[in-house]
Amino acid sequence: MIETPEDPKAVSRRNVLRGVGYGAAFAATAPILAACSSGGGGDSAATSPSPGDTANSPSGKIVIGSFQDPAMKPFREVYVKKFTDQTGIQVDYQETAYDTWYQNSKSDGLQKTGAYDIYVMDDNWVPEYAAGGIIQSLDKLGLKVNPNILPKGLDQGYWPPRSGPKLAAFKDATPELFALVIIDDVNLLYYNKTHFSTPPKTWDDIYTAMKSKAAPPNLYGWAARGVKGNPAVMTYLPLLNSYGGNFANEDWSPGFAGAEGVGALERLLTFLPYMSPSTPEMDTDQETGLLLQGKAMALTEYTGTAVSAVDNPDSSKVVGLIDFGATPSQVKAGPAIGTFICGIASGAPNAQAAKTFLEWFTSDEIQTDFARNGGSAAVTSTALADSEAVSKYRWLPAIADSVNNSVPKPRTPDEPKFEDILGTQINLAVIEAIAQGGNYTAIATAHLKAAADQMTAVLDQNKAVYFG
Amino acid sequence: MMNRVLKLIALIAIVVCCLFPFWWLFVVSLRHRVDIFSGPAAWPSNPTGENYTDLFGQYHMGAFLLNSLVIVTASVVISLLIGTPAAYALARFDLPTKLGSAGLMSALFVRMVPAILLVVPFYIALGKFGLLNNRLGLIIIYTGINTSFVIWMMQSFLAEIPKEIEEAALVDGDSRWSAMWRIILPLAGPGLAATAIFAVIATYNDFLVALTMTSTPKAQTVPVGISTLIGKIQVEWGPMAAAGVIGAVPIIIFASLVQRHFVRGMTLGAVK
Amino acid sequence: MTTGLASTPVSGMDAHSPRRPWDFDRLLPYLLVIPAGVALALVSVYPIFEAIRASFTRYLYGRPIGSAGFSNYVDVAQDPVFWQSMATTVEFVVLVVVIETVLGLSLAMLVLNEFRGVKFIRLSILLPMTIAPVVVGVIWRLIYSSETGFVDPMFTALGLGAPRVLSHETSAFVGLVVVDVWEWTPLLFLICLAGLQSIPQEPLEAAAVDGAGPIRIFLNHTLPLLIPILAVGVILRLIDAIGTFDQIYVLTRGGPGTATQLISIYTYNTAFNFTDYGHGTAMLIALLVFVSLLILVAVSLMRRASQRTS
Repeated sequence: MIETPEDPKAVSRRNVLRGVGYGAAFAATAPILAACSSGGGGDSAATSPSPGDTANSPSGKIVIGSFQDPAMKPFREVYVKKFTDQTGIQVDYQETAYDTWYQNSKSDGLQKTGAYDIYVMDDNWVPEYAAGGIIQSLDKLGLKVNPNILPKGLDQGYWPPRSGPKLAAFKDATPELFALVIIDDVNLLYYNKTHFSTPPKTWDDIYTAMKSKAAPPNLYGWAARGVKGNPAVMTYLPLLNSYGGNFANEDWSPGFAGAEGVGALERLLTFLPYMSPSTPEMDTDQETGLLLQGKAMALTEYTGTAVSAVDNPDSSKVVGLIDFGATPSQVKAGPAIGTFICGIASGAPNAQAAKTFLEWFTSDEIQTDFARNGGSAAVTSTALADSEAVSKYRWLPAIADSVNNSVPKPRTPDEPKFEDILGTQINLAVIEAIAQGGNYTAIATAHLKAAADQMTAVLDQNKAVYFG
Repeated sequence: MMNRVLKLIALIAIVVCCLFPFWWLFVVSLRHRVDIFSGPAAWPSNPTGENYTDLFGQYHMGAFLLNSLVIVTASVVISLLIGTPAAYALARFDLPTKLGSAGLMSALFVRMVPAILLVVPFYIALGKFGLLNNRLGLIIIYTGINTSFVIWMMQSFLAEIPKEIEEAALVDGDSRWSAMWRIILPLAGPGLAATAIFAVIATYNDFLVALTMTSTPKAQTVPVGISTLIGKIQVEWGPMAAAGVIGAVPIIIFASLVQRHFVRGMTLGAVK
Repeated sequence: MTTGLASTPVSGMDAHSPRRPWDFDRLLPYLLVIPAGVALALVSVYPIFEAIRASFTRYLYGRPIGSAGFSNYVDVAQDPVFWQSMATTVEFVVLVVVIETVLGLSLAMLVLNEFRGVKFIRLSILLPMTIAPVVVGVIWRLIYSSETGFVDPMFTALGLGAPRVLSHETSAFVGLVVVDVWEWTPLLFLICLAGLQSIPQEPLEAAAVDGAGPIRIFLNHTLPLLIPILAVGVILRLIDAIGTFDQIYVLTRGGPGTATQLISIYTYNTAFNFTDYGHGTAMLIALLVFVSLLILVAVSLMRRASQRTS
């Protein structure tokens, strides 16, 4: 039994190759190490609050997450720092795309990973987050609510809602505050005053003006977001609400397929001959683009464009020419309200400091500052009426007016699905109306009925949740 | 003669169709926001670099590029390290036939299944381990996906290398292991290169997996970063075009450099 | 895979020496395969099991609250939007694959021969395929968009009406097809080029000498040899096309109406935006079964292709 002696050359070659192998493995792991140290650690480590954090004077650090939006710019660039300066509490502010933030905040809340203390949310997330235990009760945390906050804005944060239809499981529960509004983003009427002798108040006013003055394609009478889903719904809601219709009735049945709803959609369709034929593909950017280029007479839109664009020569050719009001009325004005609203995560590492932040940001002093520097949609009546702010930013009174007249969207986690259903049908109705150039009542009736049927099907599928 | 003229016209038309969209993207990236809405232009009347500066300042493009670089490098290298030996084993040895062909089949399966099918379970799984929004999490997923691709491609490259070469070395006293390193690896070089190229391109360009697994510039890759410019309300056209240019340039340069290997890779991979 | 381990001399051991039960060379293949096997299992087996489990679960507000039995599948089967998006997907996939194959083959034949500048032309043709689908979506959105794009002004300048591609259902669908063709014809082009280059020339030349015209040569000699390779490419493209997501996400989000709502967009919305994991995963599993059948076809075609050419 002779064992072949190991070939010395083979050994050394083997050693070299082994070395190369280790080197390659190291080269591969180096990026991983880099990934772990700088990028990796955050989400998996949930820091449990140390006793010091929950002591009477909150300290330490809070993490705020939000979706990207121009309205958050002052928040991000000014107020975060200001809070740290005034209280010593560190703030880590993170922003990402809307869809991604929605998923990530939700999963952080459901898994209680504790990566964030505060979620900045879109108001229609509140039902889902509150019912699902993703955010915690602010009342139970002892948050003191500033009495000057406009009530309809504040209402958005209650679960179950203080008005409107309630889910079956929460029918008898007492409404508790789960989220605090920080920006009263509400629909406003934007109009170019060179085309209106008096400020338009009703839909008739708008229509009269466009019939006499509009000259498509150089000047459109109205601009709107036509993309299917949420954009189309946001175009429709100010109309629906003003006609006295509801998105969902008290018993959850769809409220837009009746006479009011059809009338509202029909009104929009009658504007179409004076609107861009590209309406079905337009979203906020293109819609406001028309206004800012001076190619549209009026539109309804959230406050963001007012704050960042109308008087900004980088984006506007109509500086100083745009005026504001509550969205036009029919039987009443009915702007939709879509606040930026903050909840404290159920798994928040530093809930007390987060509470302090929210109380601080919604205080009269800070809100007035918020309104004075940039004209942001503050949430208190005092800020929106502050003379210094109003003299610089003429849309602030319109915001207060709109909030006080606003109508909330139905409070259910399925709301995005309902918006998708309704928004798809509105988009189709607009396309059909442009193609036919008339027959608006029939088109409106047919598509609203289709949407109502689909919404009813979803309600039926989830009977237990809605009706008990 | 007519034939040649027609052919020339056709070729020019084709090249224009292929390249014009890139040109359009580039032009838009140099325009001011307010100009973009006032109509099209073959060349911007007052070009600006502000979209690019905004991109790296406000919109975190630097972070996206770094993430992509780290993630792509790590996952491709590791998948080559893991996958090539496995491909070698499948190509050379008679594993119990069920295992061998089952291995190949599952490798194929993962490669071919559209990402949308894997994304939801990945999300739930990564969530359980706290690896969401984490470069490591993405590296793990991409490594797995690339490994299947590596096995599939390398298996056919390696099978082409004649057994005689190895057998000669073995007769000379080499062990399988050193024969693998010493002889096979150099011969498999072009195959490795082609595989690596396709893996790099596919991983760099991936959108859906990265989109669902990440949420902030801490871990987001270039394609996801580009999509973040499409906000809920606003679409930032100028920076979005600039982002498109930045996203495309690395890959275009890469493709030009390795053009040779593309065709060779396809020839060897597809024909066999 | 002709000779197995048993017949190759094992290094370091004389044929008469006793074999240790675990010797390195016997185990080697398994050792080589294990890391890859683990990696693959992690990314294929585990997620699929998770998805199947989730599809039988009922979810409320994102949390699992118990078994749903088959109800998720029943709901999906009764969901008209699901079937509509499947139909749209099938229409889309068939259309793009056919167009891309024909176009790819034609392009490959056009640039088969070497001439001055052919490298540049081939690179130009390849480029659309190499960039991220997201970027493709961005580019074409910028081209199609009514207010900022290229299509409408060009048509107007030519005296035709502005098509407003993204504002109408049919034109949006066609526009999407165009985008996919622009992006993926290079793949079919590449496959055809590789295939054409690997076809031995002598039989073709012999046939030409015999007096056969170019069409006859193509049909009788070139095409049969090309088909196995082409089949692989077509099936690959078919499967990839089903998963088209990125471009749609950027271009239309599935609109106008539901004209471009392929199954991928609808599933994504259901699972993520509506947080309906139960129904979302049920849809995915149904799709998985469908794609698996296609994969089986692909694999058997590839087996036949390799048998024929070796």
